[in-house]
Amino acid sequence: MEKEMLHEHEILVIGGGLSGLRASVEALRGGKDVAVLSKVHPLRSHSVAAQGGINAALGNTPDRGEDHWEDHAFDTVKGSDYLADQDAVDILCKKAPEAVIELEHMGTVFSRFDNGKIAQRPFGGAGFPRTCYAADRTGHNLLHTLYEQSISGKIKFYDEYFVTSLIKENGTCVGCTALDVREGTLHAFSGNVILATGGFGRIYNRSTNALINTGDGAFLAYDVGAALEDMEFIQFHPTTLYGSNILITEGARGEGAHLKNSEGERFMKDYAPDAMELAPRDIVARAIITEVNEGRGIEDEYVHLDLTHLGEEKIKERLPGIRQIAMDFAGVDPVKEPIPVQPGQHYSMGGIFVDKDCETDVPGLYAAGECSCVSVHGANRLGGNSLLETVVFGKTAGKKASEEVKDKEVNESIFMDSVEKDRELIDSIVGKKDGILYSEILKELRETMFQHFGVFREGDMMKEGLDKIKRLKEKFEDVYVGSDDKKFNQALIRTLELRNMLLISEIVAIGAIEREESRGSHYRTDFTERVDEKYLKHTVVRKGEEAPELEYSSVNLDRFEVKEREY
Amino acid sequence: MKLKIFRYDGEESHYDEFEVPHEPGQTVLDALFYIQENLDDSLSFRYSCRGAVCGSCAMLINKVPRLACRTQVKTLVEGEDSAEIKHYPALDKGDEIPERAVLVEPLPHLPVEKDLIVDQDKFFEYYRDVEPMLKTEGEAPQKEYEMSPKEVNELEEYTNCILCAACFGACPVDGENEDYRGPAALAKLYRFHIDPRDNEDRLELADHEDGWWACEFHTNCQKVCPKNVPPNIAIGKARSQLQKEDE
Repeated sequence: MEKEMLHEHEILVIGGGLSGLRASVEALRGGKDVAVLSKVHPLRSHSVAAQGGINAALGNTPDRGEDHWEDHAFDTVKGSDYLADQDAVDILCKKAPEAVIELEHMGTVFSRFDNGKIAQRPFGGAGFPRTCYAADRTGHNLLHTLYEQSISGKIKFYDEYFVTSLIKENGTCVGCTALDVREGTLHAFSGNVILATGGFGRIYNRSTNALINTGDGAFLAYDVGAALEDMEFIQFHPTTLYGSNILITEGARGEGAHLKNSEGERFMKDYAPDAMELAPRDIVARAIITEVNEGRGIEDEYVHLDLTHLGEEKIKERLPGIRQIAMDFAGVDPVKEPIPVQPGQHYSMGGIFVDKDCETDVPGLYAAGECSCVSVHGANRLGGNSLLETVVFGKTAGKKASEEVKDKEVNESIFMDSVEKDRELIDSIVGKKDGILYSEILKELRETMFQHFGVFREGDMMKEGLDKIKRLKEKFEDVYVGSDDKKFNQALIRTLELRNMLLISEIVAIGAIEREESRGSHYRTDFTERVDEKYLKHTVVRKGEEAPELEYSSVNLDRFEVKEREY
Repeated sequence: MKLKIFRYDGEESHYDEFEVPHEPGQTVLDALFYIQENLDDSLSFRYSCRGAVCGSCAMLINKVPRLACRTQVKTLVEGEDSAEIKHYPALDKGDEIPERAVLVEPLPHLPVEKDLIVDQDKFFEYYRDVEPMLKTEGEAPQKEYEMSPKEVNELEEYTNCILCAACFGACPVDGENEDYRGPAALAKLYRFHIDPRDNEDRLELADHEDGWWACEFHTNCQKVCPKNVPPNIAIGKARSQLQKEDE
């Protein structure tokens, strides 16, 4: 390795979405030398697509009185089907108001009430209108704001660098290696590592996620011995656009949209008579699939999300992005006709195990945001809590990783070895003359995950799914890339992503099979009840000698009593 | 469906033609993925959200800069494309649009790196030059700065920009004057200028011949913008304000 291929920093943030940028800004404030590595330009990160909003008990809604962070915490814990760690939820909800105000002070243009305060709308599973928003482009506004903040300082950006491995020295994470996608060269980086790589939704064929959400961070962490937690809990968003599965925000229902089956009935009355369309996402998603399965879907595929009664003015003001999406991608103007929607994968509740300080169980390695599991979402995340998690825990990760920067010599040979190892891997994939293309395996994997580990799950079906995943892993041994281009070899990147996705899928499968109960998003037709005595526990999976090893760990239940979940 | 695609490997360029099976609702981005996954895995193009929010996939499609992910193949092939922009020299380079086919080329006015990928460094350099970050004076309030819904509405017109650079590739002035900051950067500058929280005197930052004064109001920027951002209006307002200050 040439000397210039080793880049020394104090903090390496992997991922340039909201969590990564918030962590970077915090580390910069702590006076650290910060670098951000992202496989895309940071503004192309999936955070940009978040629509509905960010929760905080500001109590801004006129005539509704005060809101309290404890109520926000209760809604979050109940929504999680009691699997969230209540001490972590405390932090999330207590810090929410200051986090939102801070974003506003940084420049985010939130929507406003007439009195000039940040507007808040009702969201699913919440007992109060608590979701702050910027029309239906909240993620876009927040990401641009944080990017503006991060370029105003001395953060070094490595855009379009795909991280291939983490590097450990005596049990501590000391850096990473990455492929410069533009040039096709491998580089090594030293520093404390914060993973902020987002979720892994693209292991499913129907997903709202950006195409880049392939679980890279979870793979990297697992590979160096960090634990993954609650990976079987996958959120299916009830309302994704039929066809492309682009998200149609819960904010639409928050503003009063109705869900209707082929008979024109508001069927949520049969599933959640009080909360109706604003029941939590797991409940609404199951209701829609049940309607379709029982013959009350439209074209046996979808139901209608009806906004027409809201009127043109309200739709244009509050949901302009949704209207544009419906027109561009389904040829439907929601002012005039209902939007065809179906459930699709949306969020990964599980992720890299971290404590309240965002530390993984590998020293020197931290994680925040969707790639991590501090466990504030448990078995089902409430809408508006993911953006909140990115900024609250992104900040924590940046602070903690900065505090633990140690002054020490970089052992070059370890970095050189890691680069060599990754070079060999890449050469072995690119150098092959024939074999199986990544696209073939990927297509099968995504179909398998949706069929076998979807909204409704069942033991034998899942075991069959796991066998399929294992066969696909074997097939991957013969994967090859036809193009030997150095520059922008996207087939190579997508093949490396597939390697990550295959492992993640296996861990989702193992966790789902072992958990013989129904809780939140994990619903089993063969075990329809929640079983607290045995499974009010986190699933923890680590790399074993030969196969992944699973165990359970306790849930923090400090604040609220565990109850049945009714809406 | 036939797609004719510009190819460049860092040394030489040519066009390749591909036949892609039609699917309902197929976008140009879907078609590019079909090619990459089934016909030629060396084809390179940027992508991420596939939902017209991330700004990765702006390219020249049938001689109009637009996002590949929100452009339907069928509309183009059947000649129902209604996009009309003012003609400019960059559109005369390269091949003509074939009959009943889609011509896909990289965004003009930025150096091509590979196939449909352009080097956006200059675009983002101009963006950084306008110092796009809120600058306030004095103690911040305990709570949010208050703002009226009307002020927010005006700001939203500009905060909606996704920095895809379609306007940069569509602006005739950017084709002629490589120092022109371009529509997106100027719209961003104007966004901070009208932000009631911001205390900086912003307009002077682009009060020069490569800033506000270079625009010739062709309005291609607004026409190609996937988010309907109107840089031309921002530039017009900035100019008249500067003129008033001079008087």
